[in-house]
Amino acid sequence: MTESTIFTIAFILYIGSAFFYLAYLYSKRENLAKTGSAIALFGLLLHTLALILRTVESGHAPFTNMYESLSFLAWATVFAYLVIEWKYKVRKPGAYLLLIVVALMALASSPLMPKNATPLVPALQSYWLWLHVSVTLLGEAFFAIAFITSLMYLRAEAREKKGQAPKTGLTAERLDSISYRAISVGFPLFTLGGLVFGMVWAYKAWGTYWSWDPKEVWSLITWFAFALYLHTRIVMGWKGRRSAAIAIFGFLAALFTYFGVNYLLAGLHSYA
Amino acid sequence: MYRALKNFFTSIKVAIVLLIILIAASILGTLIPQGRSAQEYLVRYGQIGGLFQKLQFTRLYQSVWYIAILALFSLNIIICTLVRLSPKLHRAFRPKCDLDPTSVQVLKVKDRIKMAQQPAWAAQAIKAELGRHHYRVREHTAEKKHCFLARKRILGIFGSDVVHLGLLIILAGGIISGLTGVRGSLTLSENQTLPVPEAGFSVRLDKFITDLYPDGSVKDWKSELTIIEGNKPVLQKSVEVNHPLSYKGFVFYQSGYGSDWENPELQVWLKKKNDPGYLKTIWLRVGQPTAVEGEDLVLTATRFLPDFVLDEKNQPSTRSLELNNPAVLIQGERYGAEVFSGWIFAKFPDFAQMHQAQEGEFKPELKDAKAQPYSVLQTAKDPGVSLIWVGCAVLMLGLFLAFYWPTREIRLVLEESQGKTEISAGGISAKSREVFQSEFDGIMSALRKTK
Repeated sequence: MTESTIFTIAFILYIGSAFFYLAYLYSKRENLAKTGSAIALFGLLLHTLALILRTVESGHAPFTNMYESLSFLAWATVFAYLVIEWKYKVRKPGAYLLLIVVALMALASSPLMPKNATPLVPALQSYWLWLHVSVTLLGEAFFAIAFITSLMYLRAEAREKKGQAPKTGLTAERLDSISYRAISVGFPLFTLGGLVFGMVWAYKAWGTYWSWDPKEVWSLITWFAFALYLHTRIVMGWKGRRSAAIAIFGFLAALFTYFGVNYLLAGLHSYA
Repeated sequence: MYRALKNFFTSIKVAIVLLIILIAASILGTLIPQGRSAQEYLVRYGQIGGLFQKLQFTRLYQSVWYIAILALFSLNIIICTLVRLSPKLHRAFRPKCDLDPTSVQVLKVKDRIKMAQQPAWAAQAIKAELGRHHYRVREHTAEKKHCFLARKRILGIFGSDVVHLGLLIILAGGIISGLTGVRGSLTLSENQTLPVPEAGFSVRLDKFITDLYPDGSVKDWKSELTIIEGNKPVLQKSVEVNHPLSYKGFVFYQSGYGSDWENPELQVWLKKKNDPGYLKTIWLRVGQPTAVEGEDLVLTATRFLPDFVLDEKNQPSTRSLELNNPAVLIQGERYGAEVFSGWIFAKFPDFAQMHQAQEGEFKPELKDAKAQPYSVLQTAKDPGVSLIWVGCAVLMLGLFLAFYWPTREIRLVLEESQGKTEISAGGISAKSREVFQSEFDGIMSALRKTK
């Protein structure tokens, strides 16, 4: 089987997993969610195989164009979600996260994304490509989880105010705490991959560790946003709605760093 | 005044406001293209363009006000960190052991145990059990009461301070880079030697190589360089993209390449219209009149364009530095009188529109054009860079301590009553209280079982 066939099967499995998680959301039957996460895990394993095959075939890290990096971001999001689900025993965010994953996979498979593995331009031939992109995207995947749990928090909090008890035992307070946990993992990863490894690589390739390129500035903005989240929470004791709002803004900034900068702002990071 | 200043800088609210301003300003800087010409801003924004320049929005990240916000922010970080440091140092190195059992019972994680043995015996059991869980135990005895203070991963409380220290080191590195860093660029053709500005040594390009993939796209550029100091070669190394060369604090990066189309070698075929068997091959250099053997003719290439195009003013110019549409302005003279002149095109040999003195005698064709490749090297001397890497390492260490080295503390107060021991225990954990609670409960139940 080729890499693209395996990729497609993984894609279909993610769709199946999203379907089961959604069914769980409506029926509250725990077994549906368990099936959903088993399918997601199987999809993740196949997706891993597809990424390995791609690496072997092209001879370079599988994130050098938009198709490859979208595929890797989808992989990282499933991975991060399964870790959080396993660790904190929450299954409800699965439906929304798998929908995000399906959207990423659909975008990756769309005809707009050139899929053929092109030879690497000189600037990307570096092991820092591995370190910089993989760690950054993994960090962003955890921000995606905080984004979803923060949105869920806002809804749960509004319901609890009206006196409705949460149906699956997932309280607003717990969602707030999971957002914080996800950011506690994502923030150090993003700092290491996005900022530190990025600076080292920029110094090696361009001769300057920081050049105020729009992508650099936007990753700094993302970093500031999550620094704001942590300080308001830990030092000033903010929780709940305001924290959720900052986490949502932070993820949107990360998303803009990843997507928007490439399409809307010109700069040095014109590869992917 | 002093108090107001101190309150200003120790306030976390001020830090938050500065952080929000920094976010907003940084976003603004990505919306307005930075460092363009005044002309371009006028075209893009009209009258407001001038205002943007006055407010330094067009060089925002180097502007006085952006740097001022950064400076205020750094000052706030320094002062906030110092103010919070002293109680933390006390807690870490000179902790107090409170002998009052109620001080333990107000903690969120807590328990009470009665042991049938003497306190001295209980103390041994407590120390053994806490040691098994990697706690370091401090002991204090007074008024027949024993107090135990057991902690682990105490360095975790300094995580945020270490992060702040890392950031400050990075900022210091940035200031040094900005004030003392030197950047330049060297354009070298093969065998050319150029002095490196402000360095006291020179660089020679020995060879410039472009590696291609089988499909023709560029795989790599390599410049083989020799550093020459005091007329002696001291170091030879090849520089590639992502693999710079360092020498005496100067770093050389492969940043560009090109061909020297100002000074090409041109191959021209000279044909005669009325003599199909006639063909002469002539090599020309721009601006150097070259005699054609066997004819009383002198050819001169006066101008060469690698990618010929007529610009808006209908003047010949080049669209790129690639050989897409090479053209040469050529002139033929006999005894100082022009025989023909005009542009000839390698891709369109019949397109030439010549001014001919004698109708159609000669037909020159451009067959080939070669140019010396040159390599563009960025040079940089950045004394701030090592501080940046130290700062990054400190920053990551701090993040690790802050997030993954949670300090745990268990306090126990032992009181004797009628030969038996009453223990009040309580605990504090910076993070993951559930995990700590189960560890605490485990220790307590182990103590209950000791006999």
